[in-house]
Amino acid sequence: MSGLKRPGGELASRPLHFFWIVDCSGSMYGEKIGTVNHAIQSTIPEMVAAAENNPNAQLMIRTLKFSTGASWVTSSPVNVEDFAWDDLEAEGVTDLGKAFELLSAQLTIPPMSDRALPPVLVLLSDGQPTDDYKKALAELKKLPWGKKAVKIAISIGQDADDDVLVEFTGNKELVLQANNAAALTKMIKWASTAASLVSAPASVAMNDEGAVGEEGTAPVIVDMGGRLPDLDDIQEGDVW
Amino acid sequence: MDGQLKCGTVLTSESGNKYTVEKLLGSGGQGEVYSVIANHKTYALKWYYKNTATKNQKEILDNLIQSGQPDPSFLWPQDMIFKVYGESFGYIMPLRPKNYKSIVDMMKRKAEPSFYCLCKAAYNLTKGYNALHGKGYSYRDISFGNVFFDPDTGDVLICDNDNVSYNGAKTGIYGTPRFMAPEIVVGKAKPSRNTDLFSLAVLLFYMFMLNHPLEGRREAQIKCMDIHAMNQLYGTDPLFIFDPDNRDNRPLAGYQDNALIFWDLYPQQLKDLFTASFTVGLQQPNRRITESKWLETFANLMSGIMICPNCGAEVFYDVHKDANSVMHTCWGCQKAVPVPTRLVVGRSTILLMTNTKIYKHHIDGEHDMETVVGEVVQNPNNPNQWGIKNLTKENWTYIKADGTQIPIMEGRSAAIAKDTKIDFGQLIGEFH
Repeated sequence: MSGLKRPGGELASRPLHFFWIVDCSGSMYGEKIGTVNHAIQSTIPEMVAAAENNPNAQLMIRTLKFSTGASWVTSSPVNVEDFAWDDLEAEGVTDLGKAFELLSAQLTIPPMSDRALPPVLVLLSDGQPTDDYKKALAELKKLPWGKKAVKIAISIGQDADDDVLVEFTGNKELVLQANNAAALTKMIKWASTAASLVSAPASVAMNDEGAVGEEGTAPVIVDMGGRLPDLDDIQEGDVW
Repeated sequence: MDGQLKCGTVLTSESGNKYTVEKLLGSGGQGEVYSVIANHKTYALKWYYKNTATKNQKEILDNLIQSGQPDPSFLWPQDMIFKVYGESFGYIMPLRPKNYKSIVDMMKRKAEPSFYCLCKAAYNLTKGYNALHGKGYSYRDISFGNVFFDPDTGDVLICDNDNVSYNGAKTGIYGTPRFMAPEIVVGKAKPSRNTDLFSLAVLLFYMFMLNHPLEGRREAQIKCMDIHAMNQLYGTDPLFIFDPDNRDNRPLAGYQDNALIFWDLYPQQLKDLFTASFTVGLQQPNRRITESKWLETFANLMSGIMICPNCGAEVFYDVHKDANSVMHTCWGCQKAVPVPTRLVVGRSTILLMTNTKIYKHHIDGEHDMETVVGEVVQNPNNPNQWGIKNLTKENWTYIKADGTQIPIMEGRSAAIAKDTKIDFGQLIGEFH
């Protein structure tokens, strides 16, 4: 026998595009960008482990940085197993709108495939954009994949401008506060697990009462044990 | 990775054992798992996060430890590390040996069992849940993540047993998306023994088919697989991909190739159970396929594997093909596979080949596929003659075509011949 025990291939999976969108403006200089670099690099092994336990998704990662202008650190999606973090430096202004423009270009079909899991966009910023981001954000949110994407923002520092971040996520609860290095690390770690929430390989915990909701209010999103925000009702729209 | 517990910490259990923390093995939604050492033996420790270390969880664990494992397949809680409520606690269980691979590895084709070992793993898994349900428990979260198997033997280990509790009791878990019964997905029911039976059928379907039973054309047409899509596919509008009365969700080539490749390799008996699981069983939780029905079928699958004489591939014998005079062909080389003589006993059909073993299940139907009661042997005085050797302490009776009865004592063999029968005590076997 030629070694083939059973026919067929692997379980079919869908791509899950995960984007780190990092503010590298001058206000991020020093401790802030240093913590971001360290925290994201540290989450990679955990993201790899989560991907290994999930046969339904192929986790693809990309990094986009913005300061004076915006550019891709990783120009094409990288399989999580091959992903390595290149340290980012901070200087310049905050061209958030430029970042949204680049994102929109990548969330258009093509280059996006028409079948996928919802993309995950994680924006790390202390706010205060210096360009006109509103038009670019509206364009992004008009795209089918821009609409469906899970948008999370991590607000860095006490002087951060949360209004912009809430505009991005569309939900106040998905703007995670990181007022110090420890909180930032924790929030980055949590955001990295959003990929597994979206593709749903994990057990779903009940709320404290163990109550079953009304018909139609299905317990579909993983609760991270009440330590961090639920990702309930982060999606809008029907099946398409 | 840093966990809640530092390496070298010594923890004293409720039974007085001292466990030294060795290293963090992993973390999940409820807590972390460490390897710990006591008396030169290594165990696993699940250590809850503070917010999941609830009184309810502690009571569930106390009960599980006291009641003991339902079946050797379970990595069951055996000792408790607990100080006071309000602080984290954990439980001790056996460590999973490295030769056990996850079902995820099976899905990714990184752990590749033979068809025989696949059937045996399915059998052992079902037997484990049967024993658990037999104790009045439900598991609540049957899925990819908590079952491990040895691809070379088909042995299984069931982990994450800390949500197991009496059927109907309150625990903190709904199940895992894609495995949850439709009535849970739409919010009409909580996990129970009957929802376990649905999740078990999904897991078995994944193992045999490498595809989800409800993911056909409708899944292929969905662009964004988000929560709304999942609720529709697995909750509000589920349709089996091989529903005999509704072809709307058939697997599509290029999207669900595995489903198309595997379905016709299996005997009708297995296909019928899957069909019932995902047609009637979608709507009527109390009419789902029970473990004993699965076990009977997996035993037949294990006893019904032919080896293609041309390429060596394992090919399943299907009694329905025989009844309809359909030839068995090999999936590997497409050549015809000759069907050997069969021994039919009760609901079991056993293909008789060199070294075939007859198991206790075959002669009493009690689901023991470990104890060998007989085997196919060659007559030393006549190499052309084959027989069944009695390996039990009981006498069997050989019934010849003319009605003559001859006792078959322990260690004796009876010839495999047309129109003869063997009375095994509870059941009579016939050669076909």
